[in-house]
Amino acid sequence: MKKSKSVLLSTPYILWMLLFTLIPLGVMGYYALTDPDTGGFTLNNLRDLGLFLPTLGTSVWYSVISAGICLLLGYPVAYFIAHRSAVTQKILYMLVMLPMCMSFLLRTLAWVGLLETNGIINILLGKVGIGSVEIIGTSGAVILGMVYNYLPYMILPLYAVIVKIDNRLIEAAEDLGCNGTQVFARVVLPLSMPGILSGITMVFVPAVSTFYISQKLGGAETMLIGDVIEKQFKTSNNPNMGAALSLLLMLMVLVCTGIMNRFGGEDEEGGVVV
Amino acid sequence: MKKTNRILTVVIFAFLYIPMLVLVVASFNTGKDLTVFEGFTFDQYKALFQDEDLLTLLGNSLLISILSTAIATAFGTLSAVGIHNLNPKLRKTVMGLTNIPMTNPDIVTGISLSLLFVFVGSTLLQQKESLNFWTLLIAHITFNLPYVILNVMPKLKQMNPALQDAAMDLGCTPVQSFFKVTIHEIMPGIVSGAIMAFTMSLDDFVISYFVSGNGFLTLPVEIYSYTKKPMQPRVYAMFTLLFLLIFVLMVTMNLLQLRADRKKTVKQAKSVTAGQKVFRRVCAGVCAAAIVLGCGWLIVSTRQDKITLNVMNWGQNIADGSDGTMDIIAAFEEAYPDIDVNYTTYDSNESLYAKLAGGGLTVDLIIPSDYMIARLRQENMLLPLNFDNIPNYKFVQEEFKNTDYDPNNEYSVPYTWGTVGILYNSKYVDEADVTGWELLWNEKYKGKILQFDNSRDAFGVAQFLSGISINTTNENELKQVSKKLAEQNPLVRQYVMDQIYGIMEGENAWIAPYYAGDCMMMMDANPDLRFYLPQEQGFNLFIDAMCIPTCSENKEAAEKFINFLCQPEISGANMDYICYASPIEGARDYMDEYLAESEVIYPEQSILDKGVSYLYLPPEINRLMDNLFLEVRISGNQPEETEEEGSALPVILTLAGLGAAAIFLFLPKRKRK
Amino acid sequence: MSKELIRLQNLVMEFDGERVLDGINLYFNDQEFLTLLGPSGCGKTTTLRIIGGFLNPTSGTVLFDGKRINHVPPYERQINTVFQRYALFPHLDVYDNIAFGLKVAKLSKPEIQERVQEMLGIVGLKGYEHRRIDSLSGGQQQRVAIARALVNRPKVLLLDEPLAALDLRLRKDMQNELKRIQQAMGITFIYVTHDQEEALSMSDTVVVMDKGRIQQIGKPEDIYNEPKNAFVADFIGESNILDGVMLADYKVKFFGRTFQCLDAGFEPNEPVDVVIRPEDIDFVPPEEGHLTGTVTSVTFKGLNYDIIVDFKGFKWLIQTTDHQPEGAKVGIRLNPEDIHVMHKSEYSGMFGDYSSYSAAYDELTEDAADEEE
Repeated sequence: MKKSKSVLLSTPYILWMLLFTLIPLGVMGYYALTDPDTGGFTLNNLRDLGLFLPTLGTSVWYSVISAGICLLLGYPVAYFIAHRSAVTQKILYMLVMLPMCMSFLLRTLAWVGLLETNGIINILLGKVGIGSVEIIGTSGAVILGMVYNYLPYMILPLYAVIVKIDNRLIEAAEDLGCNGTQVFARVVLPLSMPGILSGITMVFVPAVSTFYISQKLGGAETMLIGDVIEKQFKTSNNPNMGAALSLLLMLMVLVCTGIMNRFGGEDEEGGVVV
Repeated sequence: MKKTNRILTVVIFAFLYIPMLVLVVASFNTGKDLTVFEGFTFDQYKALFQDEDLLTLLGNSLLISILSTAIATAFGTLSAVGIHNLNPKLRKTVMGLTNIPMTNPDIVTGISLSLLFVFVGSTLLQQKESLNFWTLLIAHITFNLPYVILNVMPKLKQMNPALQDAAMDLGCTPVQSFFKVTIHEIMPGIVSGAIMAFTMSLDDFVISYFVSGNGFLTLPVEIYSYTKKPMQPRVYAMFTLLFLLIFVLMVTMNLLQLRADRKKTVKQAKSVTAGQKVFRRVCAGVCAAAIVLGCGWLIVSTRQDKITLNVMNWGQNIADGSDGTMDIIAAFEEAYPDIDVNYTTYDSNESLYAKLAGGGLTVDLIIPSDYMIARLRQENMLLPLNFDNIPNYKFVQEEFKNTDYDPNNEYSVPYTWGTVGILYNSKYVDEADVTGWELLWNEKYKGKILQFDNSRDAFGVAQFLSGISINTTNENELKQVSKKLAEQNPLVRQYVMDQIYGIMEGENAWIAPYYAGDCMMMMDANPDLRFYLPQEQGFNLFIDAMCIPTCSENKEAAEKFINFLCQPEISGANMDYICYASPIEGARDYMDEYLAESEVIYPEQSILDKGVSYLYLPPEINRLMDNLFLEVRISGNQPEETEEEGSALPVILTLAGLGAAAIFLFLPKRKRK
Repeated sequence: MSKELIRLQNLVMEFDGERVLDGINLYFNDQEFLTLLGPSGCGKTTTLRIIGGFLNPTSGTVLFDGKRINHVPPYERQINTVFQRYALFPHLDVYDNIAFGLKVAKLSKPEIQERVQEMLGIVGLKGYEHRRIDSLSGGQQQRVAIARALVNRPKVLLLDEPLAALDLRLRKDMQNELKRIQQAMGITFIYVTHDQEEALSMSDTVVVMDKGRIQQIGKPEDIYNEPKNAFVADFIGESNILDGVMLADYKVKFFGRTFQCLDAGFEPNEPVDVVIRPEDIDFVPPEEGHLTGTVTSVTFKGLNYDIIVDFKGFKWLIQTTDHQPEGAKVGIRLNPEDIHVMHKSEYSGMFGDYSSYSAAYDELTEDAADEEE
């Protein structure tokens, strides 16, 4: 009785989400199948997608590398934080959170200042006598930007999982004859798997669709799928092609996260909570 | 192992914080450049608090994020209760729906929403301004909702369901029991959901970028357009202040929480919840005050009797009062106190066109170049001007009347004119190499060359080099030109528009084709820069002119503004800043002498005769050029040249495969239970 | 004795097609202490929740003072509940928890103050007004829960396994306390438990339930002494249950022998279940016994020994203070009053055989029962 009534509370939400998430995706599909000039049905946009597959490949490749680096860097940090005292944990957690609240545009811009040919790093290197290195405009700079921007998204879920690992499990493993490495490989790592997966997803998804980082830190050769989509909308005025590309990007991300979920096994509702 | 972890952690924190430190330091810099610290000053902070535009943007951002957070929190919490009581199957479906905005890339969410708004607003409802405050708010609520739901749901799940029964048992109606009991139990979830929603909303760029029109912009969207132009250091000051604010907020929140936790563990403590209660009240108070203020501000700002004149201009294309120049907009607003200018920028004719054609905007005045005016006119996107309101048209020089793009002088009033040439840095570039457009293809300067980031200008450069008409409509010729550009691609450091300033001034690249006036500005900043006009091969001579697009709502005000800019003294003062040549008779007299005499700005007539103007091209040619240019841009990713026209089938099959895989991966999950 | 307050008629409850209550007919008298007793899943909590208004029966009627209240929501019923694990509001202190119902009812402040103080006195928690809930012990929380319900002066108090979370000692104290409070307040208590001892010691009336049906209603003594079927006999205390034949009134035959008994009213030669309580059996030297058997196991229980004796392959539990060594030959005598005869039921043959008896058995069942709901 009371249940059935309160269920009604979800109706506006369901309508809202249908209206503003599913239907827009439908509209996107509609655009992808129409001609930009005539407005009639066409498969041309889909056909032309083939042209951008290498770009998509590059984006995926960069994002995978970034997610990998984030994991390698983020795991020890998360592990370190999770094994501090409660107060230190809070402080460090906050310090990881803080950059996420600040404008990522400006923070990326700061990297431009750091990495430029005549940027801060090269000035410093010059003073030390090493001479300047060309970083900006390379794929390395783009990946660096991705790692920098999305590293907190890796650390936080990892921390959340690692901190919950019961210390007695580690003791039990030691008791059963595992050395340090074995404890890590057989107990800690498998138990932190949900955090690893959600961290990878949270780095991969924004990285694969970024256009700002590649615009600022990348060069002529580091055009990513996000750039192409942005261009279709903001300069080429070809929303139809842009919609088709977005569709492709979305499906690709869906498949990737789907594979992740498969690996993860159990799906908890709302595993994405930071 | 532990020690390495500690060192790595320190290094990572340094990695996270050094860029922010750079910005903080830059906020105290007397110079404009991030990289060189010239001296210590607080001026940027002063400038920040005098910069009404920036403060308005900050206000906009806060308004949107507070409103959307408040709505999403209330809406999301109630919905979570409903979802919680749904039967498991339906609940799973709804949670799947909730996860869509979480797992979708932001760019897809932004694009799909903007397409929906434009489709419904412009196509179905014939609205003029279909992207506005409300659509932005809807978008923010939409991506905030999942954060609230995902934070509240676990708390509902954890909650002892008997508590609600107990409340009802003691006489509460279901509604009362929600407010007296349930809400207290799920409060931590609500608070963390709201905080996450707020920060995400405040810092959101991607979705807002696609969903906002030009009437209501948030700070990140505007910062994005700033980061293309040379950044005003006062933005760094704002960053520093925001950083401090968020830092203090976070620290106090943690301290309060810590104190509350500590008290909880002390058993005898009397009013243990007092701290929390105070904190909650403070939070609630702040939120309520912010909402009231926001709504008040909204009402006041919409109630203004002032007419809003939406001007869209090139970046760096109007004198803004800096470096002792005249602040044209302020002067205009002073002359016409009932008009409020909303000034936004674009960085190429093509992006202006995309904005106008994309719909959803109200724009009253634009300043495109000649060929774009022809295109807009051809596509019925311009309104004829009422010259009765523009008496100063009489000052326009005869040679700028009866042009190709506006043969009957109906739609446009010229604003500036200029040339496109090569800007190079004499410190690094051998003068002997500066012979013509081929300098941009010189392998010697690989990675130090810039190129236009718009198809028409980039094609123009290659066309002059290849001796092909810049107004060709021959498909083969265009393909030949695009090949030429693809050859250049490996040498190009970046494709730029307004970003060129920082790169050239900072000597991070040495060679770039660009508009003469802008080159002049950069030469002002860096004396090693030189301008070269390849007379023999030909160069582009362009006119930028003021027009009123069909989406205008204040045509008369726009005409007043045009008239204002046609006054010789105003035009002259304006040129002082933007460094272009004025088509207004007598304006040259009001310009700084060294500008007025500059060969870059006013070349000799014999040279000018060799300039060529871009003419109107049919839409399919424009589309072809856009596509070819994009192919050039992504040619860096292309493993090898594949020339054949692909059929739709393989791609469709790929898409279908991806779709099927997605469905397969998400739907059947029957491992246990 | 007193008037009827609540009546349940043909109550049926189904969850997802599964029948949890199967035709419950029951009435509750004013000022009665009635206990619903049964193993987990027997439907006792469901019955309670229907009375409380938290569930709506699939069919059947709930009458309160003669009025149908099926669709009256819980907050409009003059019934209050002490929940399993108390369901105290963690965000409120002791005082505010107790005052909750009064505040919802918008009573005046002084009256709330007075009534809360009175209740605090009754449950013995004076001076604890501003303690946090999570700083209280289980017993104290229990008292708060009772006070919170009783302060509203309900006509009926529902108690859903209120003592399950307490340790044995505290449970015993609280049993007395509850009985005292019930008598002092003079209101109806409807008490749900799976603990037969609790039920027998506190109640005026015990309702034994299983599989969604009422198995027996009666005074505690009657339930214990005159169980209606094998289920009740086994669930209330320990029982040896044997197949027998009722030859005639007062004559029952089992194990090949005819015994005198006190039961009558059966069909001639009707197959019956014969219950013999383990504590009713006395050892006699083998030659004097009606039956003789061998001791197979002996467990010391404190008050008595649990001795398993094998009679021709059928194992009996005998509780006695006489120690018998394992392997000893013993004889037993059965007096007529020791033998209780029941009709055959669906439960026949399911209980009362101690062939697989072990000392750990008791604890296992307790644990299982604790996990109920």
